[in-house]
Amino acid sequence: MNITHLNDAELDLAVLGEELPPPAAEHLASCLVCRRRRDGVLAVVEQVRGDDPDAATRARVREWALAAWGGARARVHWLRWAAAAAVLVVLVLLPLRTGPASAPAPARFDAEAVLTEVNSVLDSDPLAAVVSEEVVNTVVPVPHAVSDRSVAAGERSVS
Amino acid sequence: MASAARRELLVARDDERELVELARRGDRDAAEILLERHELLAFRVCRRLLPPSEDLDGAVQETLLRALKNLPRYAGEGSFGAWMASIAVNLCRDKLRRRRLVPFQPLEVRGDDESDPLAVIPSAEPNPERVAMARQAMQRVRRELVRLPRRQQEVFVLRFFAGMDLEGIATALHVDVGTVKTHLHRAVHRVRVAAEEATP
Repeated sequence: MNITHLNDAELDLAVLGEELPPPAAEHLASCLVCRRRRDGVLAVVEQVRGDDPDAATRARVREWALAAWGGARARVHWLRWAAAAAVLVVLVLLPLRTGPASAPAPARFDAEAVLTEVNSVLDSDPLAAVVSEEVVNTVVPVPHAVSDRSVAAGERSVS
Repeated sequence: MASAARRELLVARDDERELVELARRGDRDAAEILLERHELLAFRVCRRLLPPSEDLDGAVQETLLRALKNLPRYAGEGSFGAWMASIAVNLCRDKLRRRRLVPFQPLEVRGDDESDPLAVIPSAEPNPERVAMARQAMQRVRRELVRLPRRQQEVFVLRFFAGMDLEGIATALHVDVGTVKTHLHRAVHRVRVAAEEATP
């Protein structure tokens, strides 16, 4: 009597724990050889997996990760406060920095008005542009009427 | 005392979304419980996806820390375990990429001496021949595992070492379940052949 054992594909399915076609499943349930093949492979795989780390190692690794996580969270927390403080400082200092700019700006130099003023002075007394009227009167005393006329005509000299 | 009682209450909660929400708000107890539940998965994934020269504890610490730091990004699609697995796999990929290593482990893989090779052969008499055979089977499977294409290796590790279901693996690797099945079948076939060749 020939016994048909599981073929490769069926044995792979058995190792994977997947559902076998009904005839193959029935065979596996009753065939010690096929079950031993499957269990042998699974046993090797289980051995290759190796032992799990002991409780102390697990705890040490876990604690390290938790501590590093806590440190990272604390850093983020601290950085948030530092950023908020920096923003606050900037907001406080900004008005001081911009203070002088907001003070009344110096009056603008009105060149047109100055020129008009100068022209009017020169028109009334050209020497006034060189020396003061007091000096002129001391050096060349002239009556007011003449003085006014002479000056207007440009005839008087200080030399 | 009140803190211990509160922690007990948190531990009893099955709904991880609540724990995640509390941890997001900085609750250390909630975060610790989440890690306690899923750290083993990170150990198992990192252990088999990274070469033995890589610091396993450091990699797991980094995985857990990434998970905590990125809690605000966890949208709740899929389980927290799948999300953690996703972080672990990505971290392993990053480390391998940074070191410019192909994702293969040397033959002297991590944990070679920790396993009991007799467990490979059920109800076997502990004679030297069987022990040697069992050791050989484990070596062959380890070798085959590191030879698998990266995606097949990841799928196999998540299924058989981290104990995840197909949906969880699909979520963790951002692929569909059909793709997971395909990779898993190919990986299992190669691993099974390697195991059986060593244990005739």
